[in-house]
Amino acid sequence: MDFFSNKPVPEKFRDRAQRELGDARAVFAIVGDMDLDGSYNESVMYFTQNAILAFDEKHPDSFRRTGFDEIETAFVKRMYGNALFRVRMKTGETADLLRFTFSAADIADVAALYVNSVIEHGFGEEPVETVYAAYMKQRSFCPKCGRKLPSPDAECINCGGKKKLLSKFAKYVYPERGRLIACIFLSVFTTAMSLVPPYTTKILVDDVIPGAANGADDALARLFAVLGALLGAYFLQYAVSAVRGYILRCAGDKIVINLKKDIYRKAQYLPLSFYDKTSTGSVINRVNSDTATLQAFILRITQEAVVKFFLMIGLAVIMFTMDWRLTLLSFVTIPLVALIGRTFGRRISPKYMRLWRKSSAISTLLADTIPGVRVVKAFTNENAASDKFSRYCDSWFAEDKKAAKTASVFPNVMTFLVSCGTVIIYAVGGGEIIRGNGALTLGMLVAFVNYAGMFYEPVNFFANLSDSYQNTLASAEKIMDILDAEPESDFGKGSAPAKIDGKIEFRNVNFSFDHSKKVLDNINLTIEPGDIVGIVGTTGSGKSTLINLIMRYYDDYDGEILIDGQNIKDIDMSFYRSQIGFVQQDPMMFRDTVFKNIAYGTPNAHVEQVINAAEIANANSFIEKLPDAYDTMLGERGVGLSGGERQRVSIARAVMKNPGILIFDEATAAVDSETENLIQTAIERLIRGRTTLMIAHRLSTLRKANKIVVVDKGRIVECGAPDELLKLKGKYYKLVQIQSMNDELISKKREENFE
Amino acid sequence: MPRYVDANQVRFTLRDRIFLDTEFFSGERYDALEARRLFPVSGGNKYIALLDENGNNVAVIRDLDAFPQEEKQKVLSALDEYYRMPRILRFIKMTEKYRIWMWTAETDKGVITFEIRNHLTAVKPLFDGRILIKDANDNRYEIPKFDNLDKKSKKMLFPKL
Ligand SMILES: Nc1ncnc2c1ncn2[C@@H]1O[C@H](COP(=O)(O)OP(=O)(O)O)[C@@H](O)[C@H]1O
Ligand SMILES: [Mg+2]
Repeated sequence: MDFFSNKPVPEKFRDRAQRELGDARAVFAIVGDMDLDGSYNESVMYFTQNAILAFDEKHPDSFRRTGFDEIETAFVKRMYGNALFRVRMKTGETADLLRFTFSAADIADVAALYVNSVIEHGFGEEPVETVYAAYMKQRSFCPKCGRKLPSPDAECINCGGKKKLLSKFAKYVYPERGRLIACIFLSVFTTAMSLVPPYTTKILVDDVIPGAANGADDALARLFAVLGALLGAYFLQYAVSAVRGYILRCAGDKIVINLKKDIYRKAQYLPLSFYDKTSTGSVINRVNSDTATLQAFILRITQEAVVKFFLMIGLAVIMFTMDWRLTLLSFVTIPLVALIGRTFGRRISPKYMRLWRKSSAISTLLADTIPGVRVVKAFTNENAASDKFSRYCDSWFAEDKKAAKTASVFPNVMTFLVSCGTVIIYAVGGGEIIRGNGALTLGMLVAFVNYAGMFYEPVNFFANLSDSYQNTLASAEKIMDILDAEPESDFGKGSAPAKIDGKIEFRNVNFSFDHSKKVLDNINLTIEPGDIVGIVGTTGSGKSTLINLIMRYYDDYDGEILIDGQNIKDIDMSFYRSQIGFVQQDPMMFRDTVFKNIAYGTPNAHVEQVINAAEIANANSFIEKLPDAYDTMLGERGVGLSGGERQRVSIARAVMKNPGILIFDEATAAVDSETENLIQTAIERLIRGRTTLMIAHRLSTLRKANKIVVVDKGRIVECGAPDELLKLKGKYYKLVQIQSMNDELISKKREENFE
Repeated sequence: MPRYVDANQVRFTLRDRIFLDTEFFSGERYDALEARRLFPVSGGNKYIALLDENGNNVAVIRDLDAFPQEEKQKVLSALDEYYRMPRILRFIKMTEKYRIWMWTAETDKGVITFEIRNHLTAVKPLFDGRILIKDANDNRYEIPKFDNLDKKSKKMLFPKL
């Protein structure tokens, strides 16, 4: 394999590196972004087959060579916002070779593995390939659009992705095109109708009313004819407007509903890592308010923009034919109006963005505390909770006040300017009429002022369009953050083997949720079909994380996990998960009946199937005693059942799936010993012949296990048959000792109490 | 309960830039303790834990600012070795390509360009006026006070708040 590095090697070290390397083959390099003192700077570390060459201005002479024969072990020390590549020398000292931000931490990890592997087994291509794979992962970009991909061969969901953000929403508008176009025609019509009244004013003022004064006998008849026409115009305008309003609203709602459905649907497929970072409130806000912003904008663009455009042209034509000088005069204020309109938009849109954040914080608080109302009450924290909510609301209000100031001042400034324009027209036109030296009549002047007033509206609209576009862009971005996010890989893709035997292998698996802390450290583990594996270790050691990776809740790990020899990333996700029964410590129930909760993953379940599953799970006995039995409606999150009962419902759920692999994550940790026994017998009934992984706190739960894995600080420290491990007198032995001592103590105490 | 220590109860010796050999005046000695802030975001120099090599808590410094200058300096420099949350002094540019942002900023530790995938989650304004930024690689940055940024930086950052 050719030399590779995470970034181009800095110019300033290149020549020096060539010299220092001499004939040695540089296998790969890590380019760092800090110097050893922790300031941002360039640095680089070359790895050859038998040494590390570190270049950093803070090394004496900017250089340090460390032969593998001097090193006992190499590792990465992750700190806060930065990490060190550190070696422990055979002399017992430690030396820091390179400092870097977390951007390079992952590859530094595999580089340390490379060093240790070469020290232990000698140089080989295999460790180099592991490093190379990690490099490739860092550098996997879509060849078409350059977007970063989760893995090198993943398909880019952004492609053909240079499309403008908003045009992605075209597909929601398209199905409604019929209605939208109809609405455009209707509104062109109503707009045309709205041009009639000022003109009738002109006829009334100039011809009809003076006609009566001059004693024309048909004056009244003419008056009523004109008024009739006016009434007709009004009627048509408002009747058509009503029809149009109805159609438009339906079309708009349809667009938004489809969008909401898609967001929700997509949200179901997003990986857990998305939810680790995104608050519930912000998701709620996106579904509710951002879609509304977008809807409003789509309607603006497809309707108002078209209509306003025609209105503007129509008005301009009418005004010019009436009096071109007055028209030009009334255009004088337009640039000013447009300018102010734009400034307004610029000022207001970041304020709206911040308002959004505040209101999203409020939603999050609600979503967080209302379900936690039991805890609030238990700690008599009602007051503090309300105070916090008040604080959030107040802070929203403070922001809203700022926005309100801008939002109230600007439109009025604008209206004032428009009125000024009117005054100017009156002044010039009125003067002309009084002097009587032009063709301008009183009726024309009144009509003209009306038309000019109407003209400012589309001007203002177009002046603000780009800012309202900016605003919408922000909403669109937030929606796209969900719609465009990388979903969990490949539902409906990949292979679906006929049957899963249940052999599970971990190969060099490294994982961290967050670059600052490594949670799983070089996990290697083989579980044979039918094995019953107990996973033990202190809390926080990484047991659940191990399970999370098997469940494919997190896909962004280094190394490989294989099921029956096949990489789990190559297996179709929905098939894969359907093969695993997963019982969690605190099982999640939904606001639905007990029956539906058991049949949750099996939509067309037969009634007897559900009852049998409940029977196997030792749940039937308590469900039968509920007044509404299987029809019992559970509250949110399963309120209405005890912890042990919920647990048995969730085991019944797992039974329904008839899975090839079973996983229990501290399934009995939260229940009393009698219930534990019930659950335990249910579990033992269930696991027959299935590969089973059990995380358990109480070692007594693991009596059926034929293999024990001891996890500590993200590593597997012991692994083997229980009695082998006991003989080893290591960590497992100690755990057993402590627990049996405890049990002894407890039983002794009991005896004492009885005496 | 952890063992709280106040000034005049311990003496430190800084070793390898990050380790504090700690001598209690009551007699015990602990070698190579590492200092960790218990409130790295909100706490200033209060409540700093001293951990041994297995990560066990040996003691907690209540208030470092109350320590004699010399002792305080040793702990601060050990902390400085561990914590890297550069203060952003100004933004130089923010560019976007394929909806991934690259922000270039001048910090108290030099100029750095970092990647922001999603500013909705990356930028976090705090109630006290500070702004915390976490880049795509989980590196952290701090803006001590938004109002103190220059006009150009404010203009760049404002829409992201
Ligand atoms: N979603 C998460 N984000 C970040 N860190 C996590 C997350 N879940 C767990 N961790 C951390 O990972 C470590 C291992 O957690 P876990 O696997 O749940 O431990 P346990 O062995 O008790 O099941 C813990 O230190 C925990 O703080
Ligand atoms: Mg756990």
